[in-house]
Amino acid sequence: MNKLNTHQNSEETAESGFISRNISLPLEIRVHGRGGQGGVTCAKLIAATYAQLDFHVQTFGDYGAERTGAPIRAFTRIDRNTIKNRNKVYWPDHLLVLDKGLLGPSLLDGVSEGASLLINSSETPASLRKHYPQYRLAVVDATGIARKYGIGTSAVVIINTTIVGAYAAFTGLPLEAVRRAFEFFNFGDDFEAAQAASEAVAIFDYSGKRSAKKTEVTPKSSPDTEVLPLTSHLKDIPTALKTGAWSTQTPIYQEYAAPCSIACPAGNDVVGFIQMLKEKGVTAAAELLLQTQPLPAVCGRVCPAPCMHACNREYYDGPVNIRSLERWIADNDETKPVPMEDPKPLSFAVIGSGPAGLSAAYYLAMQGQQVSLLEKEGSLGGVLRTGIPEYRLPEQILDRDIDRIVGLGVETICSSPVSKEDITRLLKDYDGVIVCKGLGLAFSLEATGSNLPGVQQGLDFLQENKQSVAQLSGNVLVIGGGNTAIDCARSALRSGASSVKLIYRRSRAEMPAISEEIEEAIREGVQILTQRQPVAFIGDDRIRGVLLAEVDLGPEDEDGRRKPLVTERTVELDCDTVLLALGQEKDLDLVPAGAKIKGNQAWDKDSPLHLWFAGDCLTGDGTVAHAIGNGRRTALAALATCRGEEQPSEKSFKSTVAPAHIRFSHFPVIPPHQDRHRPSTSWHNNFEEVNQGLPGPGEAERCFSCGRCTHCDTCLVYCPDGIIFREGKDYRIDQEYCKGCGICVAECPRRAMEMIDK
Amino acid sequence: MGLELISANHAAGLAATLAGRANRIGRGFCCGVYPITPATDCMEFLCSQEIEKSKVVRAESEHSAMAVCIGASAAGARSFTATSANGLAYMAENCVTVAGLRLPVVMMVANRTMGPPWNIWADHGDSLMLRDLGWLQFYCADNQEVFDTVLSAYRLAEDQRVMMPAMVCIDGFTLSHTIAQIEVPNQQEVDSFLPPLHIPHQLGSTPHALGQIEVAHQVASHRKQHHEAMTAVFEVYDQIQQEFRDIMQRDLADPVVPYRIEDAETVIISMGTIGATAEQVVDQLREEGHKIGALRIRMLRPFPAELIHESLRSARRVAVIDRDISLGFGGVLWGEIRTIAARDKLVQNYMAGIGGGDVRPHHLVGIVKDVCSREQAAEPVIMEDLQ
Repeated sequence: MNKLNTHQNSEETAESGFISRNISLPLEIRVHGRGGQGGVTCAKLIAATYAQLDFHVQTFGDYGAERTGAPIRAFTRIDRNTIKNRNKVYWPDHLLVLDKGLLGPSLLDGVSEGASLLINSSETPASLRKHYPQYRLAVVDATGIARKYGIGTSAVVIINTTIVGAYAAFTGLPLEAVRRAFEFFNFGDDFEAAQAASEAVAIFDYSGKRSAKKTEVTPKSSPDTEVLPLTSHLKDIPTALKTGAWSTQTPIYQEYAAPCSIACPAGNDVVGFIQMLKEKGVTAAAELLLQTQPLPAVCGRVCPAPCMHACNREYYDGPVNIRSLERWIADNDETKPVPMEDPKPLSFAVIGSGPAGLSAAYYLAMQGQQVSLLEKEGSLGGVLRTGIPEYRLPEQILDRDIDRIVGLGVETICSSPVSKEDITRLLKDYDGVIVCKGLGLAFSLEATGSNLPGVQQGLDFLQENKQSVAQLSGNVLVIGGGNTAIDCARSALRSGASSVKLIYRRSRAEMPAISEEIEEAIREGVQILTQRQPVAFIGDDRIRGVLLAEVDLGPEDEDGRRKPLVTERTVELDCDTVLLALGQEKDLDLVPAGAKIKGNQAWDKDSPLHLWFAGDCLTGDGTVAHAIGNGRRTALAALATCRGEEQPSEKSFKSTVAPAHIRFSHFPVIPPHQDRHRPSTSWHNNFEEVNQGLPGPGEAERCFSCGRCTHCDTCLVYCPDGIIFREGKDYRIDQEYCKGCGICVAECPRRAMEMIDK
Repeated sequence: MGLELISANHAAGLAATLAGRANRIGRGFCCGVYPITPATDCMEFLCSQEIEKSKVVRAESEHSAMAVCIGASAAGARSFTATSANGLAYMAENCVTVAGLRLPVVMMVANRTMGPPWNIWADHGDSLMLRDLGWLQFYCADNQEVFDTVLSAYRLAEDQRVMMPAMVCIDGFTLSHTIAQIEVPNQQEVDSFLPPLHIPHQLGSTPHALGQIEVAHQVASHRKQHHEAMTAVFEVYDQIQQEFRDIMQRDLADPVVPYRIEDAETVIISMGTIGATAEQVVDQLREEGHKIGALRIRMLRPFPAELIHESLRSARRVAVIDRDISLGFGGVLWGEIRTIAARDKLVQNYMAGIGGGDVRPHHLVGIVKDVCSREQAAEPVIMEDLQ
């Protein structure tokens, strides 16, 4: 091989430190990398290194429509004289491959036998050697070295400087020249890594002769193929650039959990039923809703609707009125669910016909099981019938939901209280027993005079009121801040009270009652006194006043609420009736003697009994939705246990859609549709339903459909390459052309897509 | 057919309106517009018209206005817009797009001086800025021509052999705000002249991308096809003139309008309203016995090289009057004429009426005298003293 002998006027200084049998002039170098790896800079540094040795150099990048990850090329020419050739390098003497993923037949275009090939790869050099025996080969793990020296970021390692060290060792360039080139371009800090690469590089010499023959170069695209006129086709004609090869990521369609569905204690597929209502109508929506919600007419009225508090539209123009949409579906659908048939049905006794019991009975019956529903009162419904006033939940509405459940063939046994002893018998008669007896005793207030006539439990008052309107008069005080308290206050107004005050020990914001109910109570004339606590009931043979102490709010306690601190500051308030609505205890008094509750099942020592507890008696959560969800899950778990099957699991998601994921600009501002209300002047002595619900299902249009594709075509429309296609009811992405730009994912209004690494 | 007294701005708007209605059995009419003096009247007229199956979108910029036209046209609607000077400059990026996408949008440009220095009067520099983008370009001399040119621009732009946007240029104020009588065809006549728009690459129910990335040879092929479509214009224009005559019972002006040129030894070449003044001057100088003629270039793109070459057969001296200046070169029209005038002709450039200066007959007489006194062409002359 020639020793740089193409020039006669020898410049000893330039040659002295750098003579290699691998260099012949003019020298052409080609660097292959990906956009972002620094391939162009690499070629530039190599040129600068040669320039340190007084060679003429030329270096340039092959720019196109690149972006991160796109294959790029860069070129360097070295000569003793001025370089006039301005073409790209087609027949390189030295080829640098910065990303092993680029290695393919066309990459080696024009590289003749015996040429020098430097590859960045973590593979063992010997294994690569097998693939490229016809070249002088060098292999270095530049990525590993650059990462070790912290060049780039943890996600994107930049190797352009490191690999120059390996190149110097491969070609015999003096490292001192490399160091000076680095300093010239302010890369001095990277020199150590380059030095490490020069030591780590594995070099395989080529024993044969360097071929002088120019090898074939495949054209980038074929000009032979006809270029159709723009005006002759209605479809996208693929360009010759298969840009899919550029991508390191690709979009996929992916469902994420909607915050409303996650928040629903009953486990309703909220976004699902709303979208169903929008797309397929009320019957389809009802069918989906009934899969988790046996009492939609009830929940559509009395649920505190945590879904609405979680709704992402809250951060835009107000949450979707989900509760009333549920109500609208329930009130406008006559679907009769069809239970599954089980040739060998099991028998279950469900004790208590409140929301948990009704839910358990419904889902067992839907699974084709025989269910007996035992209720201590004369009619079904539990607290729904006794504790929720008529103006909020009319009886015929409750009956509609209950009739649907009973209509499945559930045996109902009313006026049948169950004792601990009965449980033992029931366990013999039935394959499984589920206790859903609801909350137990109501809390009382430890204050003098709490036994005075005129001081009454609110729940008792509400139950009496359901049978015949109780007659009240004068001033009524309600103690408590939950829904029962509000129900008592508004019922008292309807029963003849001349004034109603509600006393709550914490602040208004902390009242657990549904905020709309509080608003309505105030509108109807209920006065709310917060941060007050009765410390004594005053009266001789009957209540006539209450001593109220002011309450300061102390530090937060374990549930995040501020602890009420009763002060010495008191005031006396006249009253004629006091209704206590302070909540109730959990109630597990039906657990057989000697048995223990583990989770939701009773165990006798080490053996499980076919006895489950569900709803408020177990959890004390206190909402209909919680009871419904717990009732269903317990019933299906009990069924699986009795059948000896695996426990059922619910759909799980990778993550939830947050407000930041929603592209608000995609949606027009539409304030929530409000429920219609009876005029507040008509409440007196009137228990007719106050809230008349929505006039139609239009509110469903407001649902963002968080995390669930609505086939809105946004991805398809925004794809800059037009390579997303409708296919059936889904979409297809042409991977041959998808550059992985991520615009479809960024534009998706509802996070129904994501980018994944290829 | 009826006679109307109307400004050229309104004539352009009226022609677009009739053309828009003529596409009612197609996909209707949709425009994006944004006001700028002196084109504002035209868009105002359009906004005041009731056109069935139409939408005139008042966009927030010229750039967006053209974007609306692109979308509308790509969806098969007939489209129109009007602008001037710096508004056209702001629109330019989308003017490139609409040409590259081969969409037959018609635009009226009321020629106005590019600022700064700020000036709202006639100057061809604005539309000439876009000369090479792949638009058809016409320059008009009177109100009737404005009306006829807008109408026939649709017919030409939408011809399947042509299929590209067309720009109808009218001198700002001098023409745009001048009111004169024009003959206006009725809707039925327009309907038979302008069949419903059919865009072969129209967007349909299945979205697809327009204007994808292409490699070098594909771009070269598409440019060649566009260029060849330009070349096809002359033949198509002949046919359109024939149909226009059959339906409207009058003539549609030629791409190049010669005036008393048969034996002319000296020819004044110009574009726009200066061409009308030139005709007066020709009459005047003919009276005095000078063998003089005028040539008005109505169609600048495609460039009617052969027609011009033919018209200049007898000429020995040619005065090219440019209402524009390509800084560092001279008049744009002069540059073009020089490429086709035979070597034995004296071609002298006069830049007159720049910045809206009023080019009056005595200026042209002076030009003729100047060119006749020359033995050989000199550097282009910039006439600075016009008011």
